[in-house]
Amino acid sequence: MPAFGSFALLVALALSGYNLLAGAVALRQLATGRRSWISPEKLAETARRAGIASFFATACAAFALVWAAFTNDFSVAYITEHSNRALPAAYKFAALWSGQEGSLLLWAFLLSAYGFVLRARHKVDVKLTAYASTILAGIQVFFLLLVNVAATPFSLVTGAVPPDGNGLNPLLQYPEMVIHPPMLYLGYVGFSVPFAFALGALMMRYPGEKWIHITRRWTMVTWLFLTVGIFLGMHWAYSVLGWGGYWGWDPVENASLMPWLTGTAFLHSVMMQEKRGMMKSWNVWLIFSTFMLAILGTLLTRSGLVSSVHAFAQSAIGTWFWVFLVIVLAVCLFTYILQRDHLKTEHKLESLVSRESSFLFNNLVLLAACFTVLWGTLFPVLSEYVQGNRVTVSAPFYNRVAVPIGVFLLFLTGIGPLLAWRSTSMRSIRKNFVLPATVGLVVAIAIIPLGVHPWTIFTTDGQGAFYAWITFAMAAAVLTAISAEFFRGARVIQGKSGQNLLMSMVELTRRNTRRYGGYIVHFGIVLIFIGISGQAFNQSHEQTMNYKQSFMLGPYRVECLDYSQDSNPNYDTEFALLNVYRGDHFVTKLAPELRVYAASQQPSTIVANHSTLVADLYVIYAGKDPATGQPVIKAFLNPLVAWIWIGLIVTIFGTGIALAPNLSAAIAAQRHRAAVPAEPVPAGRAGN
Amino acid sequence: MRQFMRLALLPLLIVLGVVTLGSADTEARYNDLGHKMMCVCGCSQILIECNHVGCPDSDRMLAELRSAIAGGGTNDAILTAFQDKYGPTVLAAPMLTKFNIVAWVVPPALLVLGLAGTFMLVKKWRLRAATMPAVEDDAVSNELRERIRKETEV
Amino acid sequence: MTTIACGLLLIGAFLYVFWPEKNVEAQHQKTRLEFLRERREVLFDNLRDLNFEYRSGKYPEEDYASQRAMLENEAAETVAEIDLLESDAFAPQHG
Repeated sequence: MPAFGSFALLVALALSGYNLLAGAVALRQLATGRRSWISPEKLAETARRAGIASFFATACAAFALVWAAFTNDFSVAYITEHSNRALPAAYKFAALWSGQEGSLLLWAFLLSAYGFVLRARHKVDVKLTAYASTILAGIQVFFLLLVNVAATPFSLVTGAVPPDGNGLNPLLQYPEMVIHPPMLYLGYVGFSVPFAFALGALMMRYPGEKWIHITRRWTMVTWLFLTVGIFLGMHWAYSVLGWGGYWGWDPVENASLMPWLTGTAFLHSVMMQEKRGMMKSWNVWLIFSTFMLAILGTLLTRSGLVSSVHAFAQSAIGTWFWVFLVIVLAVCLFTYILQRDHLKTEHKLESLVSRESSFLFNNLVLLAACFTVLWGTLFPVLSEYVQGNRVTVSAPFYNRVAVPIGVFLLFLTGIGPLLAWRSTSMRSIRKNFVLPATVGLVVAIAIIPLGVHPWTIFTTDGQGAFYAWITFAMAAAVLTAISAEFFRGARVIQGKSGQNLLMSMVELTRRNTRRYGGYIVHFGIVLIFIGISGQAFNQSHEQTMNYKQSFMLGPYRVECLDYSQDSNPNYDTEFALLNVYRGDHFVTKLAPELRVYAASQQPSTIVANHSTLVADLYVIYAGKDPATGQPVIKAFLNPLVAWIWIGLIVTIFGTGIALAPNLSAAIAAQRHRAAVPAEPVPAGRAGN
Repeated sequence: MRQFMRLALLPLLIVLGVVTLGSADTEARYNDLGHKMMCVCGCSQILIECNHVGCPDSDRMLAELRSAIAGGGTNDAILTAFQDKYGPTVLAAPMLTKFNIVAWVVPPALLVLGLAGTFMLVKKWRLRAATMPAVEDDAVSNELRERIRKETEV
Repeated sequence: MTTIACGLLLIGAFLYVFWPEKNVEAQHQKTRLEFLRERREVLFDNLRDLNFEYRSGKYPEEDYASQRAMLENEAAETVAEIDLLESDAFAPQHG
């Protein structure tokens, strides 16, 4: 099987290489009108098919690796390092992405899967797809070269085949870890598709902005995958790493955040191009940067340039990524310089107070956030270069610098949708802003007695509470603005159809899924902001506990009921049983654990968490007191964390709606047909 | 507009206004300083958050921090002492010294520059933009206008 | 076993890619008419949006009037050109 896997990878590389070469030659011939012994259309068709076939070949390779994991084929070095016999089946599957070689193979596989869908649906626009497919093939060649030459997943162990493997890192033995990396990779890899379309459209001087329409769903799906991937990672960090938080500003986390920020900027500013033909160069560079940041993120974390807790990552593979990045940049620059006259805007901005300018500022702030993250991630390297010593740039830096930018972004989330396209008059501003601003103000005042004290900004470490205060007030304003949008729209529908308000809102959403789905996404993001602000009020307590001993944390009393230990083939465990009371009222039973995995001899904490909308009571088993053998319990009270996960669900739901086709488009098309029944079908339409 | 400016200036103000006012109680200071340093065992975690079992450094360092606070130094003095002992990577974020100031100033400065640039760009565009006729163009026939309105009515 | 699987993969891929195909999809350059139609749809969508937002009470009357005039002028230009091109293209058949 390993031999088959290796061979399949080689075939996939050959097919992708052929796709790239034949595709490029065919496109060149079509562009210049020069003919050879084979018609360029036929050549392009073979190139497309090679791309499709490369998907099957890569799939065979991925299958071979999973097969090796399931059959405990420890002759494969990768399987020996990342699996063992006692590992549960789901985690054997996850072995595919728990090491570097496997995750690069997964990357290549997902890329070819995206490519497969794109090439199979080439009739959307044959020419544009041919360009995009060829560019995608180029990216495929790079990743397939990596897994064929630099990081081969099917290398065999030297010497005798070991009887058992080293096992999977216990930190990764968690259900979310089975889906977090593929989601994240789907996000990273997915940006290749809009990138390929954008570059292709620029190369062929695609007339009009329809390519944005074609790639819109791709971009949104990709964005969704990346979002879900990031948040699953956060949830995993929160539930498994057991340090009481969900985001540590680790370089790997930062690497996933950067393309997310530029991708979000792209999703917004591309609307200006689609609707008004503006910002063409900007958008092209945004998607170029997003793709390059996805590659750069991998480079940063895999080359060992910046240190990271994601230990598997470091290797010499960085050089490959450097070279690839330089090639991508060169191709982008070259194409842009050659074709930049194609990107002239049709409209100029007409007013500082307009939807367009709010998009402009939104983009600026998102990019500033992205730059801050990049700067913080790279500053240690810069510092070493300039002043000769490494420094750490971690949470305190981002809390001070990135948080204000985030708050500004929240502000723009609120006002953007309220502004009109082109220009907004003062009267219109008054009309739309009074209500949200009032609600925001009322909330700002109302939460002060609840303990959210803005004046703490003047104390040593009190910025958190101040930003939380601003965030809560602004969140209230933004939520009001969004609700008002729904309400106003629904009233119009209600006036026409006589449905009740709720049904009208549903119809409203169905008539313009992108806009109202987008509002729901904003709603989710605001909830996430609220959840993150809760951090400012975190509390913690650590104590060695005997039977019947207890401590207070916030409103909760935590009492130790029992502690013990247990064993099974995969791990040994120590745990404590804790009763949680609120006043005299019993709330729940918590059982934090500490496991030591047999194969790897690595310890891992299992967090016990009692989550409510107000706060999480998050308890970990920190170890055993060496003198008494009693458990050391560390407890955190983390307010509002649940809002983050709820916000994520709302965001997923909103994106799902935005992806659904418009009802109004269907209605309009119907009306169009009804209104002009005698319109002849023009000859040129077939290709669209 | 003023709101825009005020919010944009916030990060700068905060960075410039990193002042230590008053003396918080010991536990709050311990918590605060514990969050401003890293564990040096290589786990890349914030000192007070380091939670891996059998960490060779964090317990000892936290004990040092406690005695340093009890010893009565200022926050800055304690951080500097730790930096001298463990090297600059022990600080979770660089202090405002020499080149390290650059770390703090560049992102907000860039944002402010970007905002200013955008304002100017928009202003320039507005001057250049041909003022579109805000009235209905007579060249458009009523019949055509009717057709468009019919197609685009809600 | 492995050799057979490898062989099948190679032959399958080769056959699939180079299987002679008579009717390949032609790549064609988008015509001016198609481009204009896309543009008309975008402008109409913008107008529908504007109308809807006005009806929902987001714009004062005069903002609405001037914005609609601008968009309608633009749309009218496009529609007029479409009409012209269509009548040119299909005049012979109708005539």
